Amino acid sequence: MSCKVLVVAEQDGGAVRDITWELLGLAHKVAREAGWGEGSVKALLLGQNLDTAAKGLAERGAAEAIVADSPALANYSCDGSAAVIEAQAQAESPALVLLGHTPNGWDVAPHVAAGLDAPLATECSAVTAPGGKPRFTRKAFNGKFVQEIEVGDAPMSIATVQRGASQAFSGSTQGTVRKVDPGIDPAKLQARFVEVRKGESGGLDLTQAAIIVSGGRGLGAAEKFSIIRDLAQALGGQVGASRPVTDSGWLPHEHQIGSSGVTVAPKLYVACGISGAIQHLVGMRGSGFIVAINKDADAPIFGVADVGVVGDLFEIVPALTKAVQEARK
Amino acid sequence: MKTLVLVKQVPNTDSPFRINAAGTWVDEGNLTYGLNDYDRYALEEALRLKDKGAATEVVALSVGPERAATALRTCLATGADRAIHVKDDRLAGSDPLAIAKVIAAAIKGEEFRLIFAGLQADDDNYTQTPALVARLLGRPCATAVLKAELLDGSIRVERELENNRVQVIEMTLPAVVAVQTGINEPRYASLKGIMAAKKKEIRTVGLSDIGVDAAQVGGGAARLKTVRLAHPPKGKGAEILKGSADEVAKALVQRIREKTGVL
Repeated sequence: MSCKVLVVAEQDGGAVRDITWELLGLAHKVAREAGWGEGSVKALLLGQNLDTAAKGLAERGAAEAIVADSPALANYSCDGSAAVIEAQAQAESPALVLLGHTPNGWDVAPHVAAGLDAPLATECSAVTAPGGKPRFTRKAFNGKFVQEIEVGDAPMSIATVQRGASQAFSGSTQGTVRKVDPGIDPAKLQARFVEVRKGESGGLDLTQAAIIVSGGRGLGAAEKFSIIRDLAQALGGQVGASRPVTDSGWLPHEHQIGSSGVTVAPKLYVACGISGAIQHLVGMRGSGFIVAINKDADAPIFGVADVGVVGDLFEIVPALTKAVQEARK
Repeated sequence: MKTLVLVKQVPNTDSPFRINAAGTWVDEGNLTYGLNDYDRYALEEALRLKDKGAATEVVALSVGPERAATALRTCLATGADRAIHVKDDRLAGSDPLAIAKVIAAAIKGEEFRLIFAGLQADDDNYTQTPALVARLLGRPCATAVLKAELLDGSIRVERELENNRVQVIEMTLPAVVAVQTGINEPRYASLKGIMAAKKKEIRTVGLSDIGVDAAQVGGGAARLKTVRLAHPPKGKGAEILKGSADEVAKALVQRIREKTGVL
């Protein structure tokens, strides 16, 4: 069966990443809608020593796992990865190429799009294909609006899809594995991998925290963060932050929650002065109970919060700290 | 070493945003505009290379309507040496790949060794133009760059990954670097800089000047077409508490106690 959806898989040390199972779930949903058939979903896997990962893909969603297994692909390089994805997309000519909106996914996708002269929809929260015509949903203006995109008569389109946009594929498939020659000469790569390492860290691990109180741009200055610390202390929790806070140096980067920081899922998440850009929301929307305090009633954070207060955080947060302290007595 | 900075003029985030009558984009009538925040960091990174003597010339380029000249003027006042403004009514509605082709055409023959850009624009949030340009020029590109260090014939960059990890990449020059916010502390234009900028050149070019066929750009040729722009669904929606600070605080404690058991 010809390929209609090509999922570019991601793996870390030979283990398939969660985003890939979600992409396979999405690919099957789109293929059903479009009437392309379950057998039209293939996966492309790049890296080294991929036998186990390839078998897993063929058993969980891919009619065929196309594997480019080579020491030259052991680590990510934009031109190396792009060359392989381009060549395989050209050979398979799917209607849709899906990548995760991950640091490597968004890095490589435009190279492939420009190389194949195909439209690219980034950071999609939904992909549909009624009648076989792809339609992409994403956020624009930092989450203020939802944008829907169509691609006219483009024979192939490419999308990067955000985490959580789809359920992981939960069925099973009897797919096949096919190895392809990546044809990459490591000496000719223009972008060379050096290493992956931990960022600067003071040892904070927010991923394990049961309670997180986060502050955002609405705090206005580093010294104003004391009200966030006080509330976190009263609740027995940790202090988190949105991107503008760590960019401005009000707190170290390890406090940052979101797509470029850590993903957290505490029992209680209190967002103070955080508008809720999508990059922040993807990192905290799995929290058990979300409290939002913000002066803007239209802030996207209220869309994911369980309970919210519209008002001045400099009045409400200290009052909440006091109320928590009294409740603890 | 000639260095290019790609910049975009975008609506200020505190502008009064309204959806246009067609429901396909924002109504531009009431918006105020400024230099895209990410691009301020890209410009600063280029200016630091010039301060060190590594960059000989810093050029800012923008594709946009008349008003985009203001963003270029800001770049000149902040320290860029000259600017290129690609302006043509037929560009309206172009998709990112068309814009990237226009940028590649506009800098033909300029031999920029380094191109800096912001990771994304604050309006469409597309996160793709810098790497599209790189591929069209046959150059490597690194996105979400938190640190860049110029070496002999190459540039070493640190890319931001998830969960507080960074990926170190070395790229052969010429290369494209799309910076993440926070990579540096952007400077502001000084009064002296603003005065000096008046004497600096903004070269305005149209499609015919750069040899791009008008049939390849604009809304008619766009294959990435916004068919609808809407307010986000409210989702389950938060229960909004009302009252004095003390009243809402007490109500919050009660909800937290009931729903989470942490108090």
